[in-house]
Amino acid sequence: MRVKVRYFASIRDRIGLDQEEVETPSGTTLGALYDELKATHEVLGEWNRVLLAVNGEYMEPDQSLSEGDVVAVFPPVSGG
Amino acid sequence: MMMIVVTKEDFSVDGVLNELRSREMGALVTFVGLVRGRSQGRDVDRIEIQVYEEMAKAQLEAIREEAMEKYGVEEVAIVHRYGSLKVSENIMMIAVGAGHRPEGFEACRFVLERIKESVPIWKKEITPEGDFWVEGEEHGRKD
Repeated sequence: MRVKVRYFASIRDRIGLDQEEVETPSGTTLGALYDELKATHEVLGEWNRVLLAVNGEYMEPDQSLSEGDVVAVFPPVSGG
Repeated sequence: MMMIVVTKEDFSVDGVLNELRSREMGALVTFVGLVRGRSQGRDVDRIEIQVYEEMAKAQLEAIREEAMEKYGVEEVAIVHRYGSLKVSENIMMIAVGAGHRPEGFEACRFVLERIKESVPIWKKEITPEGDFWVEGEEHGRKD
């Protein structure tokens, strides 16, 4: 299945991508996808803490993904 | 009036307050966040704010509803800007309309702290020494 991955802020700058389509086995969890992303983009190892969302909501790593999901990967937020 | 606004444009504090007023309110507690001209020991020329807009709007709406329920206040409006902002410009505003001041202050503080924890918005400080992302209170980067 294919999912869309969006990157924000310092992570976007370091990876050099706003977003990408990723092919991953059906039923992959969010945590497993993130491990795949870390293998592809080694710079992700520079962050102690990365926040993950699926379709605009924060999710735990054991969340299963579905075809067409939008996964967001970003550093701790600094609005306000 | 739209109670949650994420915009590039500046806003009028009076304009937001005037739309919020109602007979039930005895207090309008307001917080306005500004671009500070100095941060982490450096002068700041301007900041750039990036937002994950769809998610930020949904998170802000959830925080608004949570604050209204938890503190029993009449109304909560939140405006947050993104894009390039100069020193002393408005970044964001929270306005809480409440029957009385205690719950108004508490709700306003709650909304601000929740925004700083969970709404996907990031600031980058543009300084004479370079550009620096500000990363939450939990410090994302290992260095």
